[in-house]
Amino acid sequence: MLELAGVRHAYEGRVVLDLERFAVAPGALIAIVGHNGSGKSTLLRLLALVERPTAGEIRWDGVVVSSPRLRPRAPARRRITLVEQRPMLFRGTVRENLAFGLVARGRRGAEAQNTIERVADRLSVTSLLERQRHELSDGEVQRVAVARALAVAPDVLLLDEPVSSADRAAAQALYAALAEERRARGLAICLASHQLEDAYRWADDIRALAEGRLSPVTPENLFRVELPVGGGEETKHVRVGPISIAVTTAREGSAILAVPPTDILVSTAPIVSSARNVFSGQVTRLGRPRPGVVHLTADVGIELIAVITEEAARDLRLAPGSPVTFAFKASAVRVF
Amino acid sequence: MDFLGEGLHRALQLISSADPEVYGIALLTVKVAVVATVIACALGMPLGFVLASRRFWGRRAALTVVNTALAFPTVVVGLLLYGLLSRRGPLGGLGWLYSWQAIVIGDVILAFPIAAALSAAAVQGVDPRIRRTAETLGAGTWRTAWTVAREARFALAAVITAAFGQVVAEVGAAMIVGGNIRGSTRTLTTAVALYTAQGDFGLALALGIILLVMALVVNIALQLLQGRGNA
Repeated sequence: MLELAGVRHAYEGRVVLDLERFAVAPGALIAIVGHNGSGKSTLLRLLALVERPTAGEIRWDGVVVSSPRLRPRAPARRRITLVEQRPMLFRGTVRENLAFGLVARGRRGAEAQNTIERVADRLSVTSLLERQRHELSDGEVQRVAVARALAVAPDVLLLDEPVSSADRAAAQALYAALAEERRARGLAICLASHQLEDAYRWADDIRALAEGRLSPVTPENLFRVELPVGGGEETKHVRVGPISIAVTTAREGSAILAVPPTDILVSTAPIVSSARNVFSGQVTRLGRPRPGVVHLTADVGIELIAVITEEAARDLRLAPGSPVTFAFKASAVRVF
Repeated sequence: MDFLGEGLHRALQLISSADPEVYGIALLTVKVAVVATVIACALGMPLGFVLASRRFWGRRAALTVVNTALAFPTVVVGLLLYGLLSRRGPLGGLGWLYSWQAIVIGDVILAFPIAAALSAAAVQGVDPRIRRTAETLGAGTWRTAWTVAREARFALAAVITAAFGQVVAEVGAAMIVGGNIRGSTRTLTTAVALYTAQGDFGLALALGIILLVMALVVNIALQLLQGRGNA
């Protein structure tokens, strides 16, 4: 098991990550979600052992492999591979890139070529094998980078926004290839994404980061806002896109608002209640991550997600395009 | 202007007639420059790589020292080296004063900071994702360094050119520790200085032209290598 314990990481004195514990169990499929700047990429770089934490320890099966004083060794790094958000290919052909990690492990010849052919086929990059890096599109570079990472058969594969340059079909193909590889080898995958839909569809375990910390609420409905100055604990109104959200907080300035999806009351008729936040709009999506649970996404000026039961969704006859009203209390809104 | 034309004529005569003294001086210059450039780059480039890619206590101070050393006056280096290599100096036992080895040491001292500082800048210019990607694919220290160096090959070739340029054009230290001895430690630059002072303008110009051609050949060779590497 790969594990971060008491890790803090700072760049030039500014703390960007502060995690008491973060573990990646064998075979886990974890999605890390959060805004840009929430610490996702830093977390992945620490997990990949390519950066050392400012404080704390990174352990593999209980053994410390990286700390402020311990530089990770190549044998530990060889069990974990990271594909960065905008991956870079080395100089040379795609084939040479796929061979890089194998050569680093002393694997050459027919066995290495077989591995290259296999991962190239899985990621549909066989036709690109003899091309140079400058002859590839961004989406192709991303696929080649994932293939290059899979070629070394890591125990943990870390992916930072792996489909940011891919269209919908290419993204689905990539996730399908990863799922296939996982079924075949049981590797753990940890991916950072700002696309919640992807996270829900592909991951077993979703963890939200906000301001470098694990967010205690489910990761939907996170918004970066500027809270007005003054007013003490009174209800404040902050703009999020075209709507204004009421929130009870003493915080001022830059903050992250989280609206817990389970605290949103859903109605098909206008609501008159004590809730300070009432927004009407249309259902855009209905997702069913688990039996009996429905993730209802509605466009109410911004996209909000509510969690309701299957029974409620059936009773309300909700479908994409249905008019819907969301209501939640100002005190339900969490501030980070 | 006449003397310039005459000088040029004499220069071409000396070069075309394969004058043994001229070619002897040129060969010694090539030997000294190649040996000094190889040693300076072999020591300076790894240091530059470490300064650019590792975070350690005193790194900034080390970078400042290396950058300051770029401005070492050549005559001061020659003077200090003279003190070390002279018979009463701590390295006097080597008997290297007024030898080509002494010139090489002086040139290495002058070219080493160039190799270190410029290669540090070259490595810093490589996208950090290259190093991280190499590491995350399991590369060890040397393979990672080699991968980064391949990405910085143009800038590193320029480092070698700059180091060679410093060495081949150096005159102050070579004059002091080499002694400009005919047939022994006379290099192109010290010979140009001497023959100009003696009024033998043609010979000085001939040697100057050879020096320029040598620099040109090295640059063309490196450019050709870069062109091939660009494929």
